[in-house]
This record gives sequence, structure tokens and C-alpha cells, in this order.
Amino acid sequence: MFKYLKKYWLFALLAPLCMIGEVSMDLLQPQLMSIIVDEGVLGVSNNNVGDLKLILTTGLQMILTVVIGGTFGVLCGVFTNISSQNFGNDMRKDAFRRIMALSFEQTDRFSTGSLITRITNDITQVQNMVAQCFRGFVRNLMFFVGGIACMLSLDLSFGVIVACAFPFLLICVTFFISRVNPKFAILQKKLDKVNSVMQENVTGSRVVKAYVREDYEKERFGNANQDLIDTQLKILTIFSFMGPIMNIVLNVSVVAVLYVGSIRVQEGGVTPGNVMAAITYLSQILNSVMMFAMIFQTVSRGMASYARIKEVLDCEPVIADGAGVPGSASDRGTASGSAANTPAASPRGKVEFRNVSFAYPGGSGESVLSNINLTINPGETLGILGATGSGKSSLVNLIPRFYDVTEGEVLVDGVNVKDYKLSDLRRRIAIALQKSELFSTTIRENMRWGNMDATDDELEAAARTAQAAEFIHSKPEGFETMVAEKGMSLSGGQKQRLSISRAVLKQADILIFDDSTSALDLKTEANLYKALRTEHGSTTKIIIAQRIASVKGANRIAVIDNGRIIACDSHENLLKTCEIYQDIYQSQLKSSADSEITYSVKGGADHE
Amino acid sequence: MSDPAQNRNTSSAPARPNTPTAAPPMRMPGRGPGGPRGMQQPVEKPKDVKKALARLFRYFEKEKLIVTALILIVVIMVICSVTAPNLQSNAINHITDGEFDLLPKVLATMLCVYAVSALCSLFQSLLSAHLSQRIVRRMREDLFDRIVHLPIKYLDSHPHGDIMSRMTNDVENISNTVSQSLSSLVSGVLTIIGTVAMMLYLSWQLAILSCFTVILTVFATKTLSSKMRSFFRKRQALLGTLNGTVEEMVTGYKTVVAYSHEQQVIDDFEATSDEMTRVGIIAESLGGSMGPVMNAINNVGFVIIAAFGGYFAINGMISIGVISAFIVYAKQFGRPINEIANLYGQIQTAVAGAERVFSIMDEPLEDKGGDLDMKNTKGVISFRHVDFSYVPGKQVLYDFDLDVYAGHKVALVGATGSGKTTVVNLLMRFYDVDAGEILIDGVNIRDISSDELRRSTAIVLQDTVLFSDTIRNNLKYSNQEASDEEMEQAARMSNCHGMISRLKDGYDTVLSESGQNLSQGQRQLLSIGRAFLADPKILILDEATSSVDTRTEKRIQDAMVNLMKDRTSVIIAHRLSTIRDADYIVVMDQGRIVETGNHEELMDKQGRYYELYMTQFAGNEI
Repeated sequence: MFKYLKKYWLFALLAPLCMIGEVSMDLLQPQLMSIIVDEGVLGVSNNNVGDLKLILTTGLQMILTVVIGGTFGVLCGVFTNISSQNFGNDMRKDAFRRIMALSFEQTDRFSTGSLITRITNDITQVQNMVAQCFRGFVRNLMFFVGGIACMLSLDLSFGVIVACAFPFLLICVTFFISRVNPKFAILQKKLDKVNSVMQENVTGSRVVKAYVREDYEKERFGNANQDLIDTQLKILTIFSFMGPIMNIVLNVSVVAVLYVGSIRVQEGGVTPGNVMAAITYLSQILNSVMMFAMIFQTVSRGMASYARIKEVLDCEPVIADGAGVPGSASDRGTASGSAANTPAASPRGKVEFRNVSFAYPGGSGESVLSNINLTINPGETLGILGATGSGKSSLVNLIPRFYDVTEGEVLVDGVNVKDYKLSDLRRRIAIALQKSELFSTTIRENMRWGNMDATDDELEAAARTAQAAEFIHSKPEGFETMVAEKGMSLSGGQKQRLSISRAVLKQADILIFDDSTSALDLKTEANLYKALRTEHGSTTKIIIAQRIASVKGANRIAVIDNGRIIACDSHENLLKTCEIYQDIYQSQLKSSADSEITYSVKGGADHE
Repeated sequence: MSDPAQNRNTSSAPARPNTPTAAPPMRMPGRGPGGPRGMQQPVEKPKDVKKALARLFRYFEKEKLIVTALILIVVIMVICSVTAPNLQSNAINHITDGEFDLLPKVLATMLCVYAVSALCSLFQSLLSAHLSQRIVRRMREDLFDRIVHLPIKYLDSHPHGDIMSRMTNDVENISNTVSQSLSSLVSGVLTIIGTVAMMLYLSWQLAILSCFTVILTVFATKTLSSKMRSFFRKRQALLGTLNGTVEEMVTGYKTVVAYSHEQQVIDDFEATSDEMTRVGIIAESLGGSMGPVMNAINNVGFVIIAAFGGYFAINGMISIGVISAFIVYAKQFGRPINEIANLYGQIQTAVAGAERVFSIMDEPLEDKGGDLDMKNTKGVISFRHVDFSYVPGKQVLYDFDLDVYAGHKVALVGATGSGKTTVVNLLMRFYDVDAGEILIDGVNIRDISSDELRRSTAIVLQDTVLFSDTIRNNLKYSNQEASDEEMEQAARMSNCHGMISRLKDGYDTVLSESGQNLSQGQRQLLSIGRAFLADPKILILDEATSSVDTRTEKRIQDAMVNLMKDRTSVIIAHRLSTIRDADYIVVMDQGRIVETGNHEELMDKQGRYYELYMTQFAGNEI
């Protein structure tokens, strides 16, 4: 944690110094006040004749100390804020940077919601803790020590009162803190529960309504809400006792000071002004003890949050850069789209799987892929078919190193993917995901993710290839149309086409479609593939699909079943040899009255 | 009397225990710099304060007992806090005057007063805690009740993050402010009245001088807080943007990584974060200077009182005890004024929040239809000249006219955006038709109770919705009374029994929102199983098997034949294999029906359907 403070050491040092200045001035005041009362108003040492001039001069001194103290106070606030907020900012930026470097298995483990809370709420808690320490801790420590010193300097007998009251307060504070602290963790959890019920109902309202479960949901929410309220009430109840008990201790001490003071005045040991000052010091001391209780509260919450942030910060990405490959993409410098400008180089985009097995880290350990051997040649189009849950997505996730193989190796252009720098590797691969993730900005900006330097012509071309141009132009604002978070602005098919445009625009050596055309109607899909073939013939294409039609024209089709490649051949050969493929084919093409269809299939194939 | 938690309203304001500031991990609506959404301004000026306040008070009306008790206690506390300094000054006077024998009696009275006031403050906190929590609970429940019964249209057209923020942040904010300010306002006003009275009683000259402090305080508060507010507002807006970025980028992390966009995302984030820090430092520094400035003003006030008090005392106009009492009073006087000044801003924000909450509560409820039931319904569905548009001017369905016979399987085919899902939305009454009518067995669906309509109709949606609960509860969501055998039967039919049994906890596996728990296709299978378990009269599948492979799909369809015997099903799909054996196929284009018939008839026609069918199997090379 100090690592982050070091940068702002000057402010971090000035803040407490200013606080010392402010508190010293504050501590001076009761003394000046006592002079004004005793000497100025009462004239104790002057036969009980007041001295107006003394009042005025001391008054001016007092105003001066107040102004100096106030200035210190304001400065302290400024320095505290500079150091604590910059501290929080650096930590937040580091945490975010770290999250952006984490591997999927790690983000999966943290879960999206938790990462968001950590980077927003938890950082704020830690930041508050730091600010609190600078101002509150220093301030109250000063008041506590200074108050005791000043009070003892007035008269030692007052020390007895402090000595009696102090343990009481200490016991109180410890008791309350130990009771309340564990409850805060529970409170956060209950709040999460209320939020999650709420979120599920807002996002899943159609299902709730379709199954007429409104009453059930109300009860579920009612329970979660009641739980939260109960926890909150428990905390508030504990705090309700804390205030008055501390107050009683404080006020009894005030009475005691008055009583002891009266005795000491009788004895001539102290003046009435001293008694008044003592009361002020006393409330300062006991006040600071109360404030310590609150500070400990913030600190313990802050420490809990810090632990959560540290978990993220200390999380080393499992998938890290390789050593880099000489003469590989990194030499291309900034112009990422210029791959095509080097025609002399051997064709790029070869992908090889050698004895690859894979199981999700942290999962049940069951193999998702076993012993995969497959070579995809540059410019080849490979289709992948297989049952739900057979491991199709897992297979392509290994190429851009979203996950690392458990056994075996994956090679791109003859080099193990683990040896590439991640950015070089991923620059060669464009992937359109199963779930099209778009961002809340314009269509243009969303597409430009593929290539930040793309010209308008390139954008237009990519949109046309992806069959998205038509609907984009039908929007009044065209490429400048905002993509809303959810809403009805885009249909599922339109979102998929945008995400395909983005992938196409990247002009990568390897293009992967992870079931990313499922919401397209057949005609659109057919046009898309036709355009891809003519516009991006030399790109290696890997297409995961459910429909045979989507992959029928591929050079080869890999059929995956239970994590194994059981066949990999052309459509025609698979139809002859592969039982599962025939089965899939039949399932999409009922056996009855299909002679004509089979005929037209042949007719289609003849075009090739 | 000094309440240590309050008499220093300076720097170290502790985080209030009853405001869990946890920003809930919720979906933030897109707040890109280019996407202004007025409704999300963090600090809003309420439009009609009176109306919102009146409505808030209605929540308090139901807690009359607590409110009355609370006010009574506050009154006692104020009396205590007004008399205590007077007693203290009496004690000092006795000490100064050497009347030590009178002292014990005064001290005893003081102890009593303190005891009463401590007791009161205990009850006051307990009562406010209960009051605020009861109101929060009721308000949340009312709001949730309303949200559950809102028409789908509202939820479709409002950012979810915003709705959720009203539920958590706004409600919490209202309750805290209101419960705090109730005591503070009452005690503040009473303290001011009491203190002024006591000050006037003790010495009217000094009382008038004290006004100087008041004027300074009011002036300083006003200047500082108006400056502060604009910075705080800006910071909240930036915070919103920041949260939005984090939410979006962490949820879309896979795409960020796939496009190696980490650096740009980080740069964006850091720019916002830096700007927020800059604004935050100014805002907080201004806020932090409030304390020292008030402190300084109070002390200047003290000097004024001491100087003039001394002058008056020397001239024998007042006693020394009066001065000491006056100092305490002056302090006491400043506090409620500070508080009320601070409260003003808080109350404004809270009222704005209340308006946001009430605006949802004022949304018209979903029309729940008539009271006809569907006990003897056969399942004949008729659309009669239906027109529909989501947004006025952009018609989605034109003169949609269709009869679905009982026990038939009807398929809707057509390009994306041709209006297929809209038909389902209308049939389920998620939306209502603009013109025309939809009949079931000849009865307009508006006359049937919506609950009844939906209970008899099971639907599987394009976007799979599952709850973060066990698989068992997710399946039984459609039919709470179903036995485990029935549930397993439904799971077998939807081809997910095998997959579930392979899981370590089987049917008791808890589904998580993200992670590799289940693949997209497996989630679809589960939601189909849920629909099967409902044992519906009408079954609607809207692209329900798009991520399921065709062999599994075929097995599901075979299982469906039995289940849906004599019942009506409506199927939407792109894959023609899914719909081939439908009794009736409806081809849609841009909101109109262009062709109808069964597979053979449509193939013979060589029209649009034929075209679509041929593209699937021919002319589709890559």
C-alpha cells in the first residue's frame, strides 16, 4: 500500500504537519479563553477588576490563532485530498490495468460483478481510509495527547478523572467494534442478494411474466429485503447504544471536573477559569476517543476492501507473453493492417493442433478436448460441427490463447502460440464470438475496434462483406448510429453482422466465426460466405456452425464428438464415410421426398 | 450539554454505518460520452418539491406512533440541551462566588439531566433506525411490486441500470436523509428557538451580537456549498461514466482481448479516472474547508462575546457565569444552523430521488386483461388484421391475419427484423396490438385474464434467461407443484438429463451468471425443459434451439410430438430443418405475411419459401 503513497510523499507528509498546526492552534484556544475569562473579565490577579484591554489583546491573539489554525486546516484538507485521491486513482488504474491483463480463467473465477465492485466501491473505501488516517487519526491523536497534557498542566487532580473515564471508554469502543465489524461483511452480502434478485427480475421480466411468477418473485424479494433490513437494524441498534453510553461517561466526567474543581478552587490550587478550560479539554479528549472508534471502523472496512483489491493486484496473469518471434508481426510496427503489403512472404495463417488435450482450469477436471491433431493450411476454410457441449468453442479458444492447452501444443505458422507476444498473436487472428459483444458507442466506433486506422471505404467494404451495409444505411444516422446497451435498436441478427464486420475489418490472417451466424437467415448467411470467399480468399477461415449449409462449402469439415475429432474431410466424403455426419445431415434434411434436394445439392457442388 | 458526535462537525465525518455505499454490481446503462441521458444526472433539482414531499409524508403517516414518540423525545432532548449549559454556568458561578455548599445540588441536577438526555438519545437513535428501516422496506417493496407488474414495454425502453439504481441508491438515500433530517430539523428548530430564548433571557445585548456569527455562518455555508455542488455534480457524472466503462469492458472482456484493445480501453479509463480525481480533489477540498471555516467563525464569535461580555461584566451588567453559558449557547446556536444548511442540499437530492422512485410507481400497471379463464380452451389462435408498432411511425406488423388450428404446429419463417418475435410478444400480451385483435377460441385475449393466458402458454425465448439458483429450481420455475419425477421426465425430453446427471451436484448444481458452468446450447436445453414442465396448452419456441446441434434438436422434436399432441405450438426458427414438418408455415417479410402453407405446398409454389429452402442446401459455397 505504501508503494502507492510514496509518489505523493510530500503531500502525505504535509497533510499531517498541517493538521498538527491546526490542532496546536485549537489547543491554544482554551488557554487564551481562560486568560480572557480569568484576567480579562474576572480580574483574578487584579482584585477582581476586569481588564478590557487584556480582553482585546488576547482576543486579537485568539483570532489570529483561529485564522492560522483555519488556514492550516484548509491546507491539510487540500494536501490530504491530493495524496489520498491520487493514491486511490493510481491504485484504481493499476487494478484496472491488471484486470485487463488477466486470463479468462481468472476473470471467470472472480466473476464480473465482483470485479466491478472491487474497482469502484472497494477502492473508494481504501481511499477513505487513507484520508481518514491523515486527518482523523492525526487530529484525534493530537487532541488526545495534547488535551491530556494541557489538562494535567492545569491541575494534576484532573488527571485522576481522565484515568477513571478512559478505561470505560476503551472497553466500550472495543466492545462495540468487535460486535459491529463482522456484521458489515454480512451486510454487503445481503445487499448483493437484494441487487441480484432485482437484476434478475429486470432482465428476465419476460420469463417471470410468462410463467406468472410475480407473486413468487415478490416473496423472494421480500425475504432478501427483510434480511438486509434485519442486518442493518442490528448494526444501527448497536450504534444506538454506543452514542449515549459514551455521552454518559463524558458528562459524568464533566460533573466530576466541576466537583473536583470546586474543591481545588477552595484550596486555591486552581482558578474558575481553569475549571472551564478543563471542561473544554475534557470534552476534547473524550471526543477524540469517540472519533477513534469511528476511525477504526473505517480502517477495518478499508482493510477488508484493500484485501479484496490486493487479491486482484497480486493475481499474476496465467497466460503471459511469450519471448516474441523474430521477424513476426511485431516488426510490422504500428501499421497493423499492412500484412497484405508483403506478398513476398510465405502465405500466413497456418494453424496446427498437436496432441492437444484441454480441461477448464478450476473445473471438474474432466477433459473437454482430448488428443486433438489437426492442421489447417493457409487460405483453407475449415468448418467445425458437433453436438451441444462437444467442445467446439473450446477448440478455437485455444488459438488466440484465451485458454492454454493442458497437454500438447498449438502452433500458428509453425510457432507455438506460447512463444508469441500475445498482442502479435492476437493481431493475426480475428474472431467473431458466439455472443456478439458491442459497446455503447456509434456503429463506426464499434467497427473500428477491428482496425483503428480504417478509412471510410474500408469500413463500407467490411460492412458490405458482412451483409451489414444495407441495414446500417437504412438508419437515419448510418454509421453514426448509437448502439444502445440493450433496447430494441438492433436485432440479434444485426448485432451478429456488426460483430462480423468488426472481425472482417481487422484483415487478419486467421478468421474465426464461433457460431456467429446463428441468428442470420439463410440467404443472408449464404451471401456473407460468398462475399468472404471473393473478398478474403487468402484468409484462413475457421467456422463453427450448427447448420450443414453454413459449412458445406468449406474445404474440410471437422466433426467433433465428446471432445474428439472423429472425422475431418470434405462434405462429399463425409457424407459417404462419417456416420455422425450423415446423421447430422439427415437431421437437417428429412429423409422423405428429398431426392430433388439431394439433386440440387449435387448441382450446387458442381459449381465448384 | 455536549454531544461529542456532533459538536465537532469538522473534518473527520465517519462513514455512516447505515449507508452501505457499496455500488452494487449492477448493469450500468451505457453512458458513453456521446450518449446523453438526462435522467441520470446524479444531483437533480426536484421538479415539484411540495408534491414529492407530501407523498413522502404519506409513508410517515403509517408510522404515526413512532413519529410521535420520536418528536416527543426530541423535544425532551432539546430541553435538556438548553438547560444543561445553564446549569453548568450556575455551577461555575457558585465556584467563582465561593458558594461551594450550593454546588452538590447543582451537580446532582446536572447528572439527572444528563441521564435523561442520554436515555432520550438512546431511544431517539433506536426509533429513527426502526423508522427509517421500516420505511425503506415498505418503499422497496412497493417499488418492486410495481416493477414486477410494469408492462414489458417500460422495461424494454428504460436502461436497467437506472431502474436498479432507483431501487437501491435512491431509496436508501431517501430513508437516510429523511430519518436523519426529521430529528435534526425538529431538534434544530427547537434548539434555535430555545437557545435564542435563553440568550435573550440572559443578556439581550450579547444575543444581538451573536447574530453576527449566524450571519457569517449562513453566508459562508451558502458560498461554499454552491461552489461545492457544481464540482460534486461533475464528479458524480464522471463516476457514472467510469462505472459504466468498467462494467462494459469487464463484461465484454473477451472482445477486448480478442481485438487486443486493452491499451485503448486502459487509456480511456485512465483519462476518465484522472479527470475524476482532479474534480474530486477540488470538490473534497472545498467540502473539507467547511469545517475549519465554521470553526474559525465560531471562535471569532467567541472572542466577540468574550470581549463584549468582559466589557459588560466589568461594568457590572452581567455575571461571569452568563458569559460561560453564552459561549456554550453560541456554539449550540451555530450547530443547528450549520446542520440545516447542510440538510438543505441533502433534502434536495433526496426529494429528487423520491421523484425518481415515485415516477416508477406512477407508471401505469400492466393491463391484466379480463376475467375469462382458459379451462376448456382448445388452442385455436386467430390474428385478425393486426397492426403494430413499437415506436409510433415505425410500423412492424401490417394487417397480420392468421388462423392457427388447435393441435397444429405452426412455424414462422422470415429474415431478421421481419416481425416474427413481435407476433410472440403480442400473443403473450407483452405488448398490445395497435389495431385488430387476437383471439383464442374466438375470445379476444384482452378479455382473458393475462395470468391465465400466460399460465396456459409456455414460451422459450431467444435470449435464454436462467436464474442464479439450482437447476432444480430453474426447471420447476414453470411449475412449482411438479414432482421430481416429472421434472426429470421434462429434462429427458429436452435432452438435458444426461448432461445434468454428469454434473457433480446433479440437479442441485447452482447456476452462475458467468463462467463456464454451461455452454450456450446447454442453457437453451434447460429453458426448453422448463417450458416442457409447464405442461402448457400452447407452446412457443422463439429461436429456442439456435445454439443446439441439429441432432439433439431432432430428438427434442420427437419428444415434443407426444407432449404437444392435441395442443398448439408456434415455432420461430431460421433453420428450415426445425420447421420442416410443421403443419403450417408462415413466411414473413417486413411485417407482412407473404406465403402460407405446408412444406410441400410451399415448395410447389416455388416462391419465397422455396428460395429460402434452396439457399440452405444449394448455391451456398464458401
